[in-house]
Amino acid sequence: MMGSKRFWIALGVLIILTPLFAYLAEIVGYSEPLENVAEMLGVEDDQEYTGILPDYTVPGLDMASGTLVSAVVGTALTLGFALGVAKLASLRKNPGDKGQ
Amino acid sequence: MHIPDGYLDLSIAGLFFLLSLVVIVLSFFKAGKELQEKRAPLVGMVASAIFAAQMLNWPIVGGTSAHFVGGAFAGIILGPYAGSIAMASVLIIQALVFGDGGITALGANLWNMAVVDVFVGYYIYKLLERRGVFLSSAIAGWLGITLAAVFAGLEIGISSSFQYSIGVTVPVMGFWHAVLGIIEGIITGGLITYITDSRPEIIYTRSKVVS
Repeated sequence: MMGSKRFWIALGVLIILTPLFAYLAEIVGYSEPLENVAEMLGVEDDQEYTGILPDYTVPGLDMASGTLVSAVVGTALTLGFALGVAKLASLRKNPGDKGQ
Repeated sequence: MHIPDGYLDLSIAGLFFLLSLVVIVLSFFKAGKELQEKRAPLVGMVASAIFAAQMLNWPIVGGTSAHFVGGAFAGIILGPYAGSIAMASVLIIQALVFGDGGITALGANLWNMAVVDVFVGYYIYKLLERRGVFLSSAIAGWLGITLAAVFAGLEIGISSSFQYSIGVTVPVMGFWHAVLGIIEGIITGGLITYITDSRPEIIYTRSKVVS
């Protein structure tokens, strides 16, 4: 299953597209319905924690590179995290069986 | 759709942390048996693809943007339990590493996108599956995201910072995501149809897991 070549190619394409979409987003400056409704009612967020890579940027890198690095790092971390949790769930069910 | 810190009253944030925790912990145990069928790598693959897809913000006419959320997609491929784990992984990484969605709002975001979108998406698909793969998965994707948005509207609308404007937040969130959700539905339908045609055993209801 992990050997599905088409999947990894598709994932690579999504990652490569991220800087382009980040540029597009910045050019048009559109926002999501949630942000629009908050603005409508004059609500501002008070988010102090901005993460290690704030809003998919890398401090010191330009937007395109920062977005690309964020996409690679985030995708890899999500893959590892979800896989780890899933393996853990499968091991827990039957400790004698190593989940394989 | 990711709620930042400062939108929700702490009591609301806490309530949804509790609700999400219950469902996700339950999902973790329920998914255990199914994942023994060597489907654990699939959970990682689906989660990582959803993370990457969520980074692509489409500018839509009318000054509104949206991105694929993927909860129904995860639910249809992985089943509701493992699907919920995949979506929770995406949301946890987004909040902790990228500050996308608040830490205090994580419970609410999990509820909307890793519980409502996944479970609604899966059960709608299962209910309509006989009427065609594309139609059923497209409706699942559309309804999943729309109901997730209605919940987001409820959560912020019963919070004091939004002056309890539930009469505004629910219709606005519900309406916009029902419109934008058409795209989510078409993508979900297209992807599920493609996977069903090429590798049907990957789809939860067609896999050995469900007999």
